[in-house]
Amino acid sequence: MQRLPSVRCLLLVLLLATPGLCGAREYLQVFVVSPYLELHTGPGRGYPVFNVVDRDGSVDVLVRYTEWFKVRTERGVVGWVSEADMLHTVLADGSPFTFNRGDRAGFTSHRFEMGMFTGVYGGATLISAYGSLSFNSQLAAEVSVGQFLGNASNGVTADFGLTHVFMPEWRWSPFVMLGTGLVHTEPKATLVQPVNRTEQTAYVGGGVRYYLTRRFFLRAEYKSHVVFTKLNSNEEVDEWKLGFAFFF
Amino acid sequence: METGIRVLLLSAACALGGCASIHHLFHRHDDAQAQAASDAGASATEDSDHPPRVIDPQVERRKIKVPQIHSHNVEFGVQYGALSIENFGTNPVYGFTAAYHVSEDFFFQGAFGRSQAGRTSFETLSNISLLTPSERYFTYYDLALGYNFLPGEVFLGRKLAMTSAFYLIGGIGSTDFAGDSKFTVSFGGGYRVLPTDWMAVHIGVEDHVFQSDLLGVDKLTNNLEATIGATVFF
Repeated sequence: MQRLPSVRCLLLVLLLATPGLCGAREYLQVFVVSPYLELHTGPGRGYPVFNVVDRDGSVDVLVRYTEWFKVRTERGVVGWVSEADMLHTVLADGSPFTFNRGDRAGFTSHRFEMGMFTGVYGGATLISAYGSLSFNSQLAAEVSVGQFLGNASNGVTADFGLTHVFMPEWRWSPFVMLGTGLVHTEPKATLVQPVNRTEQTAYVGGGVRYYLTRRFFLRAEYKSHVVFTKLNSNEEVDEWKLGFAFFF
Repeated sequence: METGIRVLLLSAACALGGCASIHHLFHRHDDAQAQAASDAGASATEDSDHPPRVIDPQVERRKIKVPQIHSHNVEFGVQYGALSIENFGTNPVYGFTAAYHVSEDFFFQGAFGRSQAGRTSFETLSNISLLTPSERYFTYYDLALGYNFLPGEVFLGRKLAMTSAFYLIGGIGSTDFAGDSKFTVSFGGGYRVLPTDWMAVHIGVEDHVFQSDLLGVDKLTNNLEATIGATVFF
């Protein structure tokens, strides 16, 4: 029976902790300043409008899916509102509700971008993907990985470097790149069994990106790699590639 | 008599002087009061600039925390189905996918899958194995761009409606099979239903096409895959 107080304490702690664990999530509340806010049944332009919220009414923003926000009205009606309509809402302090949009301004200045390419790496077919972290609208750190599949050898590459974009506000924005990386080459079997090798590389390159629409852009680039081999002379490998990318 | 009058006058003068000094004394006291009043007035003037503080407010500026909006644009999932490897029969395939939904129309997807090839009819008839057990693993990955079309809703009864969409998908990747890696083009389509905002069920069909000279003739091989999968949105 002497353990009873400690059990009670434990129960009390659990009871106190429960609201914290099970507490309702707080949602952002925005107020309608346009004549009305349309609620769709689904997150797409084709889904019908089934409810509206009048001016000065409020909605809780539950979740976002691409260009659509799922909201709940004061009456508990849940529906989807387009990004364009959400621009006509304000926060509780009257300031406009702003959010990251996929548009030309976002293309000029964004935090992350990702993309995939196909191309040629030293004569072999290349599949590649990259991710980038922007420090500002012009300078970014990039990581790219790729696999090349050729007649003489297959292999994988990994590069890390910096990219500098000239005129990021232009629809066609040129850029230059500089970095280092690794290449793992697996020569295909011939009369003499070759040896797989992993070597360090350095590259310099350049390219151009072209804004398509929304968050999409095209990107074409060239890299000139120097492979630091264990032989008497280094190898030079050209890489050309073209692909889709998006920013967020 | 004259002396008595002088004493009387002197006494009166002294008495008046005393009264004056008393009056002066009181006057000085009044001065002290006036001075105090004047000091009080001055302090009151000062306090008009700085009102007296009855309660010193110790209020810190509140940092208003605006709740974050959760986005459900990233999708991870697993899939299972059947893969028809050209000349090597149809076998189970399993894999996983990761996708990023860029817009309501487009998404990027990376997929990885693995199956194990059966035996060709030649191998069955001749009882000769063309491939080692490890070479029979058919492993692929692809990076693809998807396009959602025909968005709609699926109704279960009167109260439950689930959003859905068909999608087309095409991409590039690599297939590791029979001891070699081949550049692979993948394309196909699927149907996605979302019972909740954070979960989806997929049914998909995809063709993995690559050049192969495994059986002596260099040709394009088509490897059809049908899968069912479940994904979670983050």
